[in-house]
Amino acid sequence: MQTIELSNVRKSYDQFVAVNNLSFSIPPGGVFGLLGPNGAGKTSTIRMMIGITAPDSGQINLFGKPFERKSLNKVGYLPEERGLYKKMKIIDQLIFLGELHGMRAGDARQQAMLWCKRLEIDAWLQKKVEELSKGMQQKIQFIAALLHDPDFIIMDEPFFGLDPINAALLKDVMLDLKKQGKTILFSTHRMDQVEKLCDSICLINKGNAVLQGDLKTIKAGYGKSNVQIEYEGNGDFLEKNPLVSAYNNYGNYVEVRLAPGADAQQLLQVVAARSRVNKFELMEPSLEEIFINTVGKS
Amino acid sequence: MHNTFIIAKREYLERVRSRSFVIMTFFIPLLMFGVTVVPTMLANRGTNETKHIVVVAADRDTAEMIRSGIEQKQDEKSQNTPAKKRSLPPTHFTVEVSTDTTDSARAALTKKVKDKQLDGFLWATPDAIKARKLDFVTRDTSSFIENGLLGQSVTDALRRSALKNKGLKEDDIESALQSVDVEPQSPLGKDAPNPQMLFFATLGMVMVLYMTVLLYGINVMRSILEEKTSRIMEVMLSTASAKQMMAGKILGVGAVGLTQVVIWMGSTLVFSAGALVANAAQIRGVLSVKMLVFFAVYFLLGYILYSTLCAAVGSMVNSEQEAQQLQFLVMMPMILSIIMIMQIFQHPNSQLALWGSLFPFTAPLVMFTRIAMQPGSLWDIGWQIALSIGLMLATIYGMVWLCGRIYRVGILMYGKKPTLPEIMKWIKYA
Repeated sequence: MQTIELSNVRKSYDQFVAVNNLSFSIPPGGVFGLLGPNGAGKTSTIRMMIGITAPDSGQINLFGKPFERKSLNKVGYLPEERGLYKKMKIIDQLIFLGELHGMRAGDARQQAMLWCKRLEIDAWLQKKVEELSKGMQQKIQFIAALLHDPDFIIMDEPFFGLDPINAALLKDVMLDLKKQGKTILFSTHRMDQVEKLCDSICLINKGNAVLQGDLKTIKAGYGKSNVQIEYEGNGDFLEKNPLVSAYNNYGNYVEVRLAPGADAQQLLQVVAARSRVNKFELMEPSLEEIFINTVGKS
Repeated sequence: MHNTFIIAKREYLERVRSRSFVIMTFFIPLLMFGVTVVPTMLANRGTNETKHIVVVAADRDTAEMIRSGIEQKQDEKSQNTPAKKRSLPPTHFTVEVSTDTTDSARAALTKKVKDKQLDGFLWATPDAIKARKLDFVTRDTSSFIENGLLGQSVTDALRRSALKNKGLKEDDIESALQSVDVEPQSPLGKDAPNPQMLFFATLGMVMVLYMTVLLYGINVMRSILEEKTSRIMEVMLSTASAKQMMAGKILGVGAVGLTQVVIWMGSTLVFSAGALVANAAQIRGVLSVKMLVFFAVYFLLGYILYSTLCAAVGSMVNSEQEAQQLQFLVMMPMILSIIMIMQIFQHPNSQLALWGSLFPFTAPLVMFTRIAMQPGSLWDIGWQIALSIGLMLATIYGMVWLCGRIYRVGILMYGKKPTLPEIMKWIKYA
């Protein structure tokens, strides 16, 4: 049984097609990345998954059954648009959201305290939301999504606006949830996070799925066609070289993709002849590059 | 249903605990007391001053006659003071007479009034008396009660002298000029409520109805707007449906409104217990259990109708300013009802009263007023009451459907204010 299964889902607003004939499924357990540029249809897709809006056509199965509101008690949702009641106490707010997910008030209180302790904000339980910093509010929101121990957790840009320490704290929680066998859907356009966390991905653009599957398999499919080079001097001469089909200067190093049929050894000689090479590494393309290329083509 | 209850509970508890609820609960009765009782008290208190005026006539007899008229009226007034305290300001006039009707005399007197050496003079030349229009030159042209009384005194004096000239005796004149009171009597005899009390009690209840529906309708709108701007909507939508959220909000805020009305009524009972017991018989005619039931019915129906509209407005807009523009449109029929009611008090059986009490958006106030003012059995207008409630229920059903659809889309729309065609599209979305 798939945690969620979308088949031929379509949603349009007026003339604008937000999601066009989208199909993918997420197996239970593991982290799934829903990727795409701004306005690709990520949020529209998520909203349909949890019944905020209904698809124009197509089918969505949640926990193996056609969508029903009752199933939402096993879903946790961290929306991209964050928000809490400003004038309400943290603890009351968490109990309220817990109750809405079918918890008893007492259980909700207990869980809220445990989570706040774990995320190191238990000192703030009696404070109002408006007294909290942005980062702390984000943690509360995170707790609100996990309080009722959901099996399927949807997070829209969860790391947005977090400092490195809190981001690490959050990442640990996510990995822990993954270990517990929870299914996590993680929507973002930050490719570095996806590479670290996701098992499989679906890349959507303009409402269509343009690339999906197991992350390792996808990357392996591109082969070790990329070279990362660190050298002294100016490397811009590489941009025009016929051995190179794509060139990216990151400042401290450059990353190039070899032209089809080009030999890496040849490239090394070219570079070594012009400058002093500190590092020359053959590697799989980064997800970011795959993303830019795939989206650019579609 | 469970979610609706949780949302309503949160709304209720957060509001009742808030400082603004406590302030409103005390402030509104104070405000109502302030705008109704205080001005009346001030107007009735008068100034207790003595005004020095001059009566100018062509001959001494006429001048003296007017003077005595004014002074006599003043004596009458002070005699009647305990009984008729209400309408008479205790201003005293000391009156002098003059027979100099030349233009220069008038100019001199005018200057005196201007320079505050004199409070006023009455120009009673034969021409003016013939035309029945005397000039009263005074700095206080706006104290209309006082000036009206002066007019009455002069009219009275002139009538007396005219009758006297016809040769009537003093007693005959007195009895001929005696004023007559017309007292309305209900055909129901002694059981009928005191009309004045009925009027004030009904007006009071209508005002409470009006203010609570308005106040809490707007509260629903603002609270939805707040949820929308704080972006908590989306978290809640991941478990509760838009319909449950709207219903929970309306129920929760409505319960706060009822709580407030109950507090007001309860404290009125406690604080005026003595007066209520003393006038028990009269009050029973005005404030029956029946009236309280109708009050509750029309409050609930009116509130649900208007708060549903407000919920739709709250979901459409993005800021307080935008909300205020639309809020006025929504509240228009309510304000219109108040204007209609003033007319209906005068003509309770007019066409306006009938249609106003059937039209669902004015029905809560208008029908309630008619029920309160209805002499005799309510069965006489039973079908109208039933029809008005039926029409309101039907309209509420339609509005909940319509506004629910607007709400559902509106709460997720950020940015610009939607146009009418856009709203029509929202209603059509699946």
